[in-house]
Order: sequence, then structure tokens, then C-alpha cells
Amino acid sequence: MIQHIDVHAVLRRSVSGAYTDLVTRPTGRAVREGIEQAMADASIARIDFSGVGCIDYSCADEIVAKLLRERLRVLLLSGLTDGHREAIEPVLAGHGLAVLLERADGTLEPLGPRESAEALLEDLIARRLATRTPGGDFHLTAA
Amino acid sequence: MTRLVEIPSSFDDRTFDQFAGGFAAAWADGERLLFDAHAADWASPYGLVGLLAAGQAAGSGGREKPLLTAPTASEVVSYWSRAGFFRAASELFEIHGKVPKAKPLDDSDVLLPVTAVKAAEDVHEVVSHIQQRATAILTSELGVDPKATMGFAMALSEACQNIVEHAGTGGWVAVQSYHWRRRLAKRVVVIAVADAGVGFRHSLAPTQATRFGTRWGDAAALEAALIQGVSRFRDPGRGQGLKGIRNYVSRWDGKISIRSGTARLSIVPSWDDDVPLTDGLSAFPGAQVLIIIPEQGPRKP
Repeated sequence: MIQHIDVHAVLRRSVSGAYTDLVTRPTGRAVREGIEQAMADASIARIDFSGVGCIDYSCADEIVAKLLRERLRVLLLSGLTDGHREAIEPVLAGHGLAVLLERADGTLEPLGPRESAEALLEDLIARRLATRTPGGDFHLTAA
Repeated sequence: MTRLVEIPSSFDDRTFDQFAGGFAAAWADGERLLFDAHAADWASPYGLVGLLAAGQAAGSGGREKPLLTAPTASEVVSYWSRAGFFRAASELFEIHGKVPKAKPLDDSDVLLPVTAVKAAEDVHEVVSHIQQRATAILTSELGVDPKATMGFAMALSEACQNIVEHAGTGGWVAVQSYHWRRRLAKRVVVIAVADAGVGFRHSLAPTQATRFGTRWGDAAALEAALIQGVSRFRDPGRGQGLKGIRNYVSRWDGKISIRSGTARLSIVPSWDDDVPLTDGLSAFPGAQVLIIIPEQGPRKP
């Protein structure tokens, strides 16, 4: 079972005011704690960034990197803009971590250093959580 | 007795060290300071937020509130007012001279007026405010790829967070766009951030001083933070902010310069003749950050 998390909704619940940006360490920490509460015992989560404005490096580190280092085995990200990726990819590179970007058509794109990304995909395939299509794309087998 | 600190007539990052020298000499005496800007004919965002940092330091430790004589030229004092300087300065200085009331912001060059940064909420406000205006300027006037405009907000956020996380006091940020005719013959967007807090050396000393040994000082602290991505926090994810700003600035052929204590470290693009590291400057409290993103493409005549 993959836990679906709407980050924008968590942001609105976690931080006072009507902010749409994921900026500053305290905000990142509050949102990560909100996500952790919502996840219960899940080890795989799909985190949807739709509706989120700007993400800075501090928030990318507090949310994405810390969830992966301390809580989750697999993190699927959806609703990412190019701007969001600008913050998240350097953070992943800095920690040697990988996540999966789930595109609108359901295909998966690994983000992070190549070795980590390949290892993540191999792990998912070995656990039958993802498959490779004849065209070379990766899809989830579980929703 | 009151000691005079002259504001350079053209007050920007290039004349800041001259100002800092005058400030350091006057401040050392413990007397009340008078910042004299009556002859100022121009000030960059860096000059304005740096002056506020000086005012904050001058009035600290139970000292009498410093004096400030406003520029006498009406267009200069009007610009300082539109840029939000006097609103912030009124808390720090006893201001003398005619100061016009700040009008609502319709100045397209002032992307963010001088804004106080004390807490994480202030950073949220700054980022929210800047995005729409900066995106328009960056894409239409500077030719920056629209996809990269988010990076500008990230850089601004991280620069402001340095105050919240490390300065131990509040600071100020200002963002402006203007045409740099003499220096670059291009439009630029400038982020200036300043505080009068503890500075990089003090902030990093507990974790870095031993590693650097006899080299430890303001210059080494700036090198650790900006080049090596070191933070005072032991969390491995810390220190990404300045590194991220450096990468963003490099990608867009921009400049970042940080002055703290007696040193200034810059990532210098090909269009600028600044030196990467200057040490042995006049001591100035806190940290002052300058980020410049130039118009993309060849210089215009």
C-alpha cells in the first residue's frame, strides 16, 4: 500500500498563514512531521507537490532527504515543477540518495545520483513493486 | 562627543570598505555616532542595508541611538524613501533632514523594498512578495529562462535564512533591478542582505576553528561556508544553502560576494574585476551578502 500525501494540504495545516512556498528549515521540519504523522507505518509514500510554489534547499533537505534517511525506503514524488527539481536534485546528490518522480502518464523517472537511482529501480523490480515495459519505461505495479 | 561617519557620495559595494573604515574608527571610541549622508547622490541596495547594519551596531550595547543626516538632494532622498530605507532606519537612527513619506510601491525597479528579516515568517513574506515581480523582470528584461526563476527565489530565501539561523540578530534584505551602464552596460537584478550579528567566524568557530588551526579567521570562515559548504550544525544536510546560491549564480554568470568581519570572499564572473578574496579589511559587524544576476547575452552598446 502506497500512502498518498498532499504536501500543499500538509503545509496549510502545519504552518500558520496561507503560505504556498516550502521555504525555511522550521517550515520544512513542520511539514515533514506532518507527513510522518499522516504516513503511519507506511514504508513507501507518494508525495504530491501540486500547488506548492517555491521550494528551497533547506526545505528539500528537511523533507525529502530526512524522510529517506530516517523513515522511508521508497519515496515517489509527483506534481513536481522544474523549479522544484532545482532544489531537490542537488540535495539528493549531496546525500547520495534517490527518489522516483512519477510523471503524469504514470511512468517513473529516477532522480538522484546514477548509482543510487539504478539501485532503487533494481530494488523495486526485485520486490515486484515496479516493472519495465518493452519500451524501456518503468511503471509501478501497485497504486 | 559625537563622532562623524561619512557616507560615500556614491555608496555601493565598491565604496563600502571606505565607509566601514570610517565606521570602525569612530565606533571604537564608544561615542555617539553621526552618519552623514547629506552629500550622498546615489546608494545601491547593498549600501542601504549596510548602513542599517551599521546603525544597528552603533546603537547596541546601551549606546545612544546614532544620528543620521538624510541626503539633501530631493531625488536622492525620494529614492531612499521609495526603497523603504527610512521606514527601517527610523527605528535605528535619530534622523535629521527632510524625509518624504514613502509612497505606495509603484517603482518597477524596486522589486523588494528594504525589508526586515528576523524570523522564518519574514522569509516566507519575502519569497511570496518577490516571485511575481522577479519572474517578470528576470524573464522579460534579463533573458533568464523562465524555468530558472524559481532558483532566484531559492537564492533569496537561503540568503535571508542565514540571518535567521546564524546572525543572532535581525537584518535586512532589498532587491532591485537597474541598468548598470558604466560597469556592465547591462540590466542587473541585485539582492543585498546585511546584518550586524555575530558574523561567519564566530558562528563557525566551535566546529571549524580547530580544523583550520592558525589559518582560522574571517577569511577562512567565509571559505568554509561558501566554498566548502560547511555549517555550524553537524547535521549532514546543512550548508546546502550557500552552495546552492553559488551554483545558481555561476549558472547565470552572476556574482556573489560575502563580507564578514575583516574579509570579503567573492565568486567573480568574467565581467567583473573584483578579486576573489580580500582580507585585512576594516572590521565591520555581522555579514553582508551581495548577489548580482546580469542580463543574459552579449553586452549592449
